[in-house]
Amino acid sequence: MSRRFWVYIEQEDGKVHPVSWELLGVARRLADEVGDDSIVEGILVGYQMEEAAQECLHYGAETVYVVDDPAFKNYLNKPYTVALTALVKKYEPEVFLVGATTLGRDLAGAVATSVGTGLTADTTHLAMGVIKENTKKLLLATRPAFGGNVIATIVCRDHSPQMATVRPRVFNPAPRQAEAKGQIIHETFEITPDMINAEIVEFITNTAATVKLEYSDIIVSGGRGLGGAKGFELIKQLADELGGVVGSSRACVDAGWIKYDHQVGQTGKTVRPKLYIAAGISGAIQHKVGMQESDFILAINRDPHAPIFDVATMGIVGDLYEVIPALIKEIRARKEAQNG
Amino acid sequence: MDKNEKLVFDVIVVGAGLSGSAAAAIAARGGLKVAVIERGQNPGSKNYFGGALYTHSLMEIYPDFWDRKPPLERPVTETGFWFLSTDGLVKATVQGGKVNSNPIDAYVALRAKFDAWWAEQAQKEGAFIIPKTLVVDFIRENGKVVGVKTDRDQGDIYAPVVIITEGVNNLLTQKLGLAKHDLKGESSALAVKQLISLPAATINARFGLTDNDHGAALSVMGDVSMGLPGLGFLYTGVDCVSVGVGVTLEALREAGIKPYELLQRYMNHPMIAPLIAGGRLMEYGAHIIPEGGWSTMPQLYTDGVMVAGDAASMVNALHWEGTNMAIVAGKSAAETAIEAHQKKDFSAQSLSSYRARLDKRFIMKDLRQYRNLSHFLKTHPDFMAIYPTFLNDALGMFFTGFGKPKGQLYKDILKSLTSRRPLLKAVGDIVAFGRTIIGI
Amino acid sequence: MFHALVSIKQVPDTTNIRIDPETNNLIRQGVPTILNPYDAHAVAAAVEWKRKLGGKVTIITMGPPAAVTSLRECIEMGADRAILISARQFAGADTWATSYVLAEVINEIHSKDPVSLVFFGKQAIDGDTAQVGPGVAVRMDLPVVSYAVKIREVNLEEHYVIIERKTESRNEVIKTSLPTALTCEKDIAEIPYASLPDLVYSLRYEPEVWNAESPITFDPAQLGLKGSPTTVFKTGTPEKHSAGEVFKVTEVGLDGVVKTALDKILAVEGMASMLGVQK
Repeated sequence: MSRRFWVYIEQEDGKVHPVSWELLGVARRLADEVGDDSIVEGILVGYQMEEAAQECLHYGAETVYVVDDPAFKNYLNKPYTVALTALVKKYEPEVFLVGATTLGRDLAGAVATSVGTGLTADTTHLAMGVIKENTKKLLLATRPAFGGNVIATIVCRDHSPQMATVRPRVFNPAPRQAEAKGQIIHETFEITPDMINAEIVEFITNTAATVKLEYSDIIVSGGRGLGGAKGFELIKQLADELGGVVGSSRACVDAGWIKYDHQVGQTGKTVRPKLYIAAGISGAIQHKVGMQESDFILAINRDPHAPIFDVATMGIVGDLYEVIPALIKEIRARKEAQNG
Repeated sequence: MDKNEKLVFDVIVVGAGLSGSAAAAIAARGGLKVAVIERGQNPGSKNYFGGALYTHSLMEIYPDFWDRKPPLERPVTETGFWFLSTDGLVKATVQGGKVNSNPIDAYVALRAKFDAWWAEQAQKEGAFIIPKTLVVDFIRENGKVVGVKTDRDQGDIYAPVVIITEGVNNLLTQKLGLAKHDLKGESSALAVKQLISLPAATINARFGLTDNDHGAALSVMGDVSMGLPGLGFLYTGVDCVSVGVGVTLEALREAGIKPYELLQRYMNHPMIAPLIAGGRLMEYGAHIIPEGGWSTMPQLYTDGVMVAGDAASMVNALHWEGTNMAIVAGKSAAETAIEAHQKKDFSAQSLSSYRARLDKRFIMKDLRQYRNLSHFLKTHPDFMAIYPTFLNDALGMFFTGFGKPKGQLYKDILKSLTSRRPLLKAVGDIVAFGRTIIGI
Repeated sequence: MFHALVSIKQVPDTTNIRIDPETNNLIRQGVPTILNPYDAHAVAAAVEWKRKLGGKVTIITMGPPAAVTSLRECIEMGADRAILISARQFAGADTWATSYVLAEVINEIHSKDPVSLVFFGKQAIDGDTAQVGPGVAVRMDLPVVSYAVKIREVNLEEHYVIIERKTESRNEVIKTSLPTALTCEKDIAEIPYASLPDLVYSLRYEPEVWNAESPITFDPAQLGLKGSPTTVFKTGTPEKHSAGEVFKVTEVGLDGVVKTALDKILAVEGMASMLGVQK
């Protein structure tokens, strides 16, 4: 029997969350690490899933199991848990990866309990490896703990599937192939009344445009050094000038200067932009774990000993209220020079 | 327990610092029902100092102090002065001999850790600690203090005697009219400090310490405070170094220098920077020190109230004493409270024996003797800058004057002094300083 | 009667954790422990609804004896009863073994004194797993609403609750029948500032202590390290990133640092075209 590497394909209204493509990429690598008989498969639950299922094939799933029913139109913990539990019991995958999104964490925790297996949360590094001689390779799931001060590699020896939720933006997405190989298998379910223990009575779309920090190429973040909520106006100006979005350290969110959606770090978002500007952020480890993979990090801080400089590509020791306006001025000047 | 019961104690201590927890322990041991009201999340979370604690005072509260496994850092086995010029350093420190006492006279400590433990000891004696609560006023009956009001709903607590150990920001002491006004800028210093984390072995190597059971407490003078009257300090913890500088508030304000810049500059001094290089900042803090001592001391007692510790300006700036005065004063206040309960008399007249107790101890004697120190520093603003630099020059010349006629050498050394300060004035400075510390 | 149960955890304050630079071990000594911040807000929400509807709030925690401090903090906020579940056998439990114990405990309490809502914080700041709440709910077969930001309505007569929860792109308003489990964001309620009598009462409060045998006899095979499907294989410190060059405004001048910064930024692949500026 093939060794199955499963990826939960997360979707909302038919739109697949990009973390799913990242998981297909990493599942492919893990499958390759154990050998030829291993296969990568996607699990898709929802309503009107044809297009999404097709996309999974383009992103390298060899099989996509689809549960397609109006009862699954919107995510609810119980019916989704029941469906996935049934699928796991039927196909007995060896590894099951789920995005560590709000939906994924809610779902994976329930599925693992219901199946009776271990789950490693919010992993940032995955590999297949032997932990004892002459045993089969296990999923070595590595994650930060204690606010990012420690990284721990966790294994699930005797239970299956070996489950992990995987932090978005840590792995590169699988490349999209023009050709869709593989098969789509439809699974049918009888929806029983006891599966429905909750109903969604309303959706509230945030009118204030929600920030998509994780998938932004340019992020300008402010920290305690801003001195107050008003400081984010300057951060926003620079972000606008660069075409980026505004991020924040936890301190500012805790102080109520900016909303949680903007928080970068261990308890906020992990980001990997091309450019990350950290202004007035001292660089506690909790913040660094969320942004240190950025391509270019510019840190601006008055304290030359600020730990943020340890991860910065370039550091500026100075007053952000001098440096940022000067930076904005310089960008404008160069744009003008270019436009004649 | 009934939640609606009126909260009544025999004594209320305001503030769980070194003084407050000492007072609480003694009072509880003496059979009193004690409440300690602390504004911080935990005792110690709001407390800050340079450095070192003095063994004699700790053992005075707990004769079995060492059996209680206190969370101290290193014993101070080397102590003294460092004199900095812009690029040089003269060390005048002692080790062994009298410093190598048993137990060692002083221990480096971190207040957040120590004060929490110190409060826990008071708790073991029976004191009841109420954290996260701010005392905002007194409850008075017939003009006498009979309790305190806190910032919480239904926040009144009653006791016939209140010991105020609220720290340097002595708003309650002022509220009672015991302190006439806020602290004066010339008589309070602002100390800023960083705690730098370094491996113990690195600290041992850099400070020349044999092992983790050896530690240094150093007062640093000269080019530390950008020409302002102030002192730098260095204390070695087990795996951290406290580095800081204290300057009078008035001087800081007049010079328009930010405390942060002052500390930065001190830490970047070529003789200081290598000691802390590669370390990680663990905490940064600033604290006011009521260096006025005798001259700013409030009235220490009134009907139903006694004041101790920083709130009462119990600081001897020259000898870095303060914590020991706070502890001993806390104890004296508690003993007075016990006595007052025995007499059932909480009047000012009855509590005046608190002052009498302090008069007999080093506290009042020393504070009186050093009463002119802040005045001296104010009138000799460059005292701290000139002489350390001269000392560096003098010793530097003396130990490098090879192949030169020695007569010329002494002339050069003298010139190095007189170019900074005419000889007569220099002699005057020394005499004035001597008079100041002898207290005449 | 409204009966809210809140499951809390005492955690090291991760903002204060340090690593020994020589041994790479976690220095726990001197690191203060706190009530997990999300749990504190969950307790606040439970107490808020108790004050609206009457009834009571019960707190449970699995942890070492020192966790009484956090239980007292919950009593201070207005909870009525606190239970410490503590035994050596529980040590080393992963989220699966933890949810086993908590579910058994909640079932036991529920059987004597029916529970309306089971509150959790959305995650603990030391483990950051966010798994225990959903795990307990599954074991008890309760509906679970995670990432709750607001409880809109609790209707005891008609046995339902309406809760607003947060997802990545929007908020959802969910109606479930009682009892329901929920995991809370900080928005769920403000931490109240207790009255002095409440604070004093809490400082003197002694929680009940339950162990592995009494009043519930747990299955030893499902406890602690032994009962945990996952085990820690190894730990380490995060890899260090090499620091880049640092320029001081006081040395290079404002104009100099800004020009250098922009030159370097524009050298990053794709950056010039994104900004619409030439290298």
